[in-house]
Amino acid sequence: MENDVAQVVASLHPLEVRILHAYKPGDVIDSGRLAKDLGYKIGQSNQAVSWLAARNLVQEKTRVSHTFYELTELGSEYARSGTPEERIVRLLSEKGALALPEIARALGLDTRDTGSAFGALAKDGVLRMDENKKTSLADGASSVRMTRTRALLDKALLNRALLDLAGGVGVLDETELSKDDLELVRSMSKKRGAASSPFRTIEREEVSYVLLPQAEAVRRALEKAGLSGEEIGVLTADMLVKGTWKNVSFRRYNLSSQAARVLLGRTNAYCDFLRSVKDKLISLGFEEFDGSLVETEFWNSDALFMPQFHSARDIHDVYHLKHPTHAKQIEQPYLDQVAAAHENGWTTGSRGWQYSFDRDFTRRLILRSQGTVLSARQLTRAKIPGKYFGIVRCFRYDQVDATHLSDFYQTEGIAIGESVNLKTHLGFLRMFAEEVAGATEVKYVPGYFPFTEPSIEVHIKHPVLGWFELGGSGIFRPEVTEALGVHAPVLAWGIGIDRMALMSLGINDLRELFSFNLENVRLRRSK
Amino acid sequence: MPKIEVSEKRFYSLIGRSFSHDELENLLPAAKGELDEVLADAGILKLELNDTNRPDLWSTAGLARLLKIYTGGQIPVYDFFSRAGAMKDSGAREIIVDPGLKDIRPFIAAFAVKGGKIDEPALIDIIQSQEKLCWNYGRKRKAIAMGVYRSGLIAWPVRYDAADPDTTRFQPLGGERAMSLREINREHPKGIEFGHITEGFAKFPFLRDSKGEVLSYPPVINSASIGAVEIGDEELFIELTGTEIHSLLHALSIVACDFADLGFTILPVKVRYPYDTPFGREITTPFYFQTPQEAELCAAEKILGESFSADEAVRCLERMGCAAQVRGTKVRVNPPEYRNDFLHAVDIIEDIMIGKGMDHFKPVTPQEFTVGRLSDAEILARKVLPVMVGLGFQEMIFNYLGSRRDFVEKMNVQEGDIIRISNPLSENYEFVRNSILPCLLQAESVSSGAVYPHNMFEIGKIARLDPSQNYGAVTLSALGFLSASADTGFNAVNSQVAAVLYYLSAAYTLAEADDPRFIPGRCARVLIGGTPAGIFGEIHPAVLENWGIQMPCTAAEINLDALK
Repeated sequence: MENDVAQVVASLHPLEVRILHAYKPGDVIDSGRLAKDLGYKIGQSNQAVSWLAARNLVQEKTRVSHTFYELTELGSEYARSGTPEERIVRLLSEKGALALPEIARALGLDTRDTGSAFGALAKDGVLRMDENKKTSLADGASSVRMTRTRALLDKALLNRALLDLAGGVGVLDETELSKDDLELVRSMSKKRGAASSPFRTIEREEVSYVLLPQAEAVRRALEKAGLSGEEIGVLTADMLVKGTWKNVSFRRYNLSSQAARVLLGRTNAYCDFLRSVKDKLISLGFEEFDGSLVETEFWNSDALFMPQFHSARDIHDVYHLKHPTHAKQIEQPYLDQVAAAHENGWTTGSRGWQYSFDRDFTRRLILRSQGTVLSARQLTRAKIPGKYFGIVRCFRYDQVDATHLSDFYQTEGIAIGESVNLKTHLGFLRMFAEEVAGATEVKYVPGYFPFTEPSIEVHIKHPVLGWFELGGSGIFRPEVTEALGVHAPVLAWGIGIDRMALMSLGINDLRELFSFNLENVRLRRSK
Repeated sequence: MPKIEVSEKRFYSLIGRSFSHDELENLLPAAKGELDEVLADAGILKLELNDTNRPDLWSTAGLARLLKIYTGGQIPVYDFFSRAGAMKDSGAREIIVDPGLKDIRPFIAAFAVKGGKIDEPALIDIIQSQEKLCWNYGRKRKAIAMGVYRSGLIAWPVRYDAADPDTTRFQPLGGERAMSLREINREHPKGIEFGHITEGFAKFPFLRDSKGEVLSYPPVINSASIGAVEIGDEELFIELTGTEIHSLLHALSIVACDFADLGFTILPVKVRYPYDTPFGREITTPFYFQTPQEAELCAAEKILGESFSADEAVRCLERMGCAAQVRGTKVRVNPPEYRNDFLHAVDIIEDIMIGKGMDHFKPVTPQEFTVGRLSDAEILARKVLPVMVGLGFQEMIFNYLGSRRDFVEKMNVQEGDIIRISNPLSENYEFVRNSILPCLLQAESVSSGAVYPHNMFEIGKIARLDPSQNYGAVTLSALGFLSASADTGFNAVNSQVAAVLYYLSAAYTLAEADDPRFIPGRCARVLIGGTPAGIFGEIHPAVLENWGIQMPCTAAEINLDALK
């Protein structure tokens, strides 16, 4: 029991502590009493009492339904600036007799409201209308109804300050109204308040609680511990400046409460992954390249010695531009050299593809479909030895699903140098497998790419994903390199890093990499 | 990549021995193949073959041939091939070509077979070979189409005609009645699929025999009579038509070698052309047209990273099915009849590599020193990144393709300089984004359930039409960011832009801008050196409404290339 009390004492909120000090067992409390005695707002009362109830220190005693009349927006306007009736009386007392349309115009009221206000005032004998349809005040007349309405509006405004109800709008409590006033308010109220009435009706439940005997032990323990509920929650700069912190004690915070969520600025986990691959390749001596999303058939395929009649070059394999459809020209001397390499091998020692190269088709504009385009372009300005890479957006004519995207990243590159041969080629692949992919085992098998010969695929055993094909590579065909002015061997490689990206992000759908869903993105953690 | 299905039983009986699945998986790389799937109950292997220049491997017989030789078998001898100056006897089997085909579908090659028997697995195999060859290598029948017929019904010579598509009629395979060629194009399933190949011509290719009996309307459909091959047939006639004679003869050679391997006797057919071909006006097919190719041994050493003796190189090539001889410092290869993929010495060298086996070659760590470096765009992006994160923004990454609805209509802008794709797969991916803002708004439109405020940004590419460019377009690096919250406003985004540009050391001025994406008077254009380099402001409520967004948004887009 003692332990329980100690635990309760340690976890009490100051709002609870002050209640326990202020009342003794058997006392009845409700939000009105707490507001009066302790200055609690409704929300604070509800919280404190519900916590105490959960600790079994108070018990619900009564629950009564209670009606309030709350000022609508219109009602607030009436309370501050006067009701239409009041404003008409004021206007006429200043200006003398006026016709109804003149009144409506002067007060900015619509004619219907002006008419109904006149009707009510005329009925009370406050106004009259002469034969010229001019309205004026009846001498010495006054309206009890108008006076009482004003009193109710003022009272409602005043109550706003006292009761923190419904966001600080003025209210009238049903129990504080005389029978006549109640009738008058009801006549000005609508349930589920339409804006055209000055009051709307609100039903609320008032619950009262009784303090239970066991609260006494807790109160004594609080006293013993010297906790008054007045402990300081926040250390302010002012306290430090004035030194007042020395005279106060600080409230202990509850460690078991849920930490509030912080919304912070963050990098994207997939972008982080891409940047880490770039950094790894930089560390291996590769220089990054970049280029245009719009390409030509020439650079996308022809420069890579893919014959123009090849089945992979049919209309439905790359995206074409609607307008313009063709580049103005292809860079020389590459156009002539590549065309000759296709037709008869040019001076490369090849017999070529033996067909007539189409110089119109080669200018056709497309969205690049493979990163190798940029490798081909890089050949025309490469240093020897040189190593280059790009993680570049490519576009594919694919139905979008969990394993295909219409645009996605390819990781590609080249290494140029006199020492490039099959064995150093395998050395590079081993380097990628171990350094970039974290492979534990590596296997090399012959592959096929139209622009490399020999071609090698690298399969790796990943510690989590098991065996998969990491990428393809090969030594560029002489028809590619010679036609682009390079006379040293060139290793071309491409690695698929998306599977590793999915794994590191803990997802299995490629579309998620480019997610529009902010919440998914900002909660995502990379492993 | 062609995928084929082979019956394990047929496959291993052709090889002459069987392999476990593991053994097969270890052998397939010699054919650049992979074992995709095993249908154990049906005894079927599904294989993927990666080399698009090796159509000879896309059939049970062709793949079995390579693996048989690779594991120690002899290189087969095919003695039915004619060569320039040495035509084989074709007997009465002749095809006479109509001069009108010269500009339509000029070439035909053929042979007949006898001595075997067509059972069901054989027929399935023939159909698969035909499909793979004509689909992948023959560009969906456009370049090469194949027909198989019951040769016993044919009265020689066969005529390859250019026929009037409206008056020429016959009953096609799978058709109920005689139809004109044009009707076939419109109504028959094969006509609907392949009719576009002939549609532009005044006359269509047409094959009939000397009695006028119809063989087929190539490249679309066989006749229901001579063209209806059945299980149990023993004598067949096989023809291929096409637009390019080398690939056509090559494809015919592949089919002939396959039939020979299946135990058929190949009977040559003579084709008479009324016009010149690279091999004359009379060609007896199957026809060997390949020429020997050579590689210097020192070139092999340079590429493979180690020296090979001439004899070793020859042995490796023979293991790949290529008869080879040593010629001084070179090896000379006589390409097998079924191969036409030796364009350059490097192609021979790769066969030496595969013949030797990949396990032989050990990786060597490259020694040449080079300096690694990020691109200018990436270096700049990495300066922007910490500023945006520091401002409390979440980095996003979006796709670049989208719809007119998202990129144009919802943004209340005109198409303007946006790049449009002429052959989109779907209208959802028809345009290349010319701004990051629609992507950010799309993200906001699907994220209303996420706790506010929302602050997100992307550093990525945008592309625009630009007639001054050779390629008619430019690609730019851009920064886009968006805030959605009840209390965001022009002053907030103005301060954010100021912070970004301060830390990028970019001096800028602002100008009023009239942009329908933003509220008038609450939008500013960023000028760097007097040139427009960005825009920001409060997103127009009409745009927010288009996106179904019910939270005020401010956004900015800055062209990072203008900061370089």
